[in-house]
Amino acid sequence: MIDQKRKEKLLTNIRKLDSYHEIQNLMGRLTAALNFQRREEILSYFALEKDDVSLEYADEGVFEGRKAIEALLDDLVLHPNEKGYMLDMQLTTPMIEVADDAKTAKGLWWCPGISSVHANEETKALWCWGMTGADFLFDGKQWKVWHLHYFRLIRCDYKKGWVEDTSMINRLNTPLHPLSKPSTYHNPYSPLSIREGIPACPRPYASYEESDKNWMLSKDKSR
Amino acid sequence: MIDIRIEDLDLLSDEEFEETEALIEEELSVWQICNLRGQAAIFHDDQHIGEKRRELKAVDYPGFDLEAELRFRNTAVVDSLEGNMLIHPLTTPVIEIDPENKTGRATWWSLGIEGLSKYRERPMAIISAGMVPGVHVKQNGEWRILSGAWQRTTKNEYHAGWIDSMVPTNTRPQISMEEDRRRLGKYAYRKDEIRRAVPCPPGKDSFIKYPLREDMDWLLDDLDQNTVE
Repeated sequence: MIDQKRKEKLLTNIRKLDSYHEIQNLMGRLTAALNFQRREEILSYFALEKDDVSLEYADEGVFEGRKAIEALLDDLVLHPNEKGYMLDMQLTTPMIEVADDAKTAKGLWWCPGISSVHANEETKALWCWGMTGADFLFDGKQWKVWHLHYFRLIRCDYKKGWVEDTSMINRLNTPLHPLSKPSTYHNPYSPLSIREGIPACPRPYASYEESDKNWMLSKDKSR
Repeated sequence: MIDIRIEDLDLLSDEEFEETEALIEEELSVWQICNLRGQAAIFHDDQHIGEKRRELKAVDYPGFDLEAELRFRNTAVVDSLEGNMLIHPLTTPVIEIDPENKTGRATWWSLGIEGLSKYRERPMAIISAGMVPGVHVKQNGEWRILSGAWQRTTKNEYHAGWIDSMVPTNTRPQISMEEDRRRLGKYAYRKDEIRRAVPCPPGKDSFIKYPLREDMDWLLDDLDQNTVE
């Protein structure tokens, strides 16, 4: 006879597995929408009804709330209808944890990418690699992105490579976007930088606590 | 999310329940092994060998050579971490779990980038492609890496490309190209050779063909298939 506890555990595991699959698909769709510069679709994957929904982008700061995320996409990220522009990010190395209560999840992907941009009247081929960490919320019907952080690793001229060209790893010394809050972390590769295991791998957890908010930046590698 | 309630599980016979439970446990193992290897990739890039880290290897497994592992781990191969980077993203996973959910055999492919500065010189940008084969076991309820070393396809200076450049594994003392060829570069790309099909991804029948956990021949299943006499 199968006892109740065993049934509850199986049910939890089925829900977690289904969530794992749903979250992989959600991030795949979001990445495709970003690559194809589809503003409304990108926004539809975020939990915009939450006041603390956020998107942190390289060293441009944290954009919290619907209005700020829209501004980030419009003013800094998207290049719709621009001839020759191309962004092609990919998701690899998935590390995902779904809370035991299946209400939240944490995920991290390593993201190789290529891009083409216009600069000084020429179109340049770029490498753009990074890591994407995110918190997810289940809103009762579907999984949504709650907090997303894109950690830039390299952004460089394809011809020169990531050692020779570090001109694009940091933002220019110009005012930050008025809707951005200070960056929480930015440590792209350069000949002088030291890699330090951030963003961190998510670890199993029961339910999302306030202390979980900075899991991506954890320097404690022992747990 | 999937619409299933605990009452739905009451409809299963005990046998059906146990079959479902085993299937779900197997799928969870595949997921956990992916997470484990992701964590290993982070530690590999991080390179802070002196820091206390969560153990990822099956160090309690009978016969595990902990002494050799610690010797390897605690030997610095660069003078400074500045400018060094080892990004080996994991793609193309093939993972098979044994019927008892105690062993996981897997292979990944990887197209990566590196920065290498051995003696504080300006780093060399490197393209690093290869595979990650591995055997994983459960230790105290948690999946650990039992065996499996990076298998290089290319490790080339970025501008020179993989036809003309092969950078040996960075060791101290530096091993020769011949020695490197016997180790991680054993199956590495060479323009004057037919490529050998190693490692073979684990087949569905991997644990029937190779029931012993220590038997690593599954990785060589396709070894000679590309070699035409």
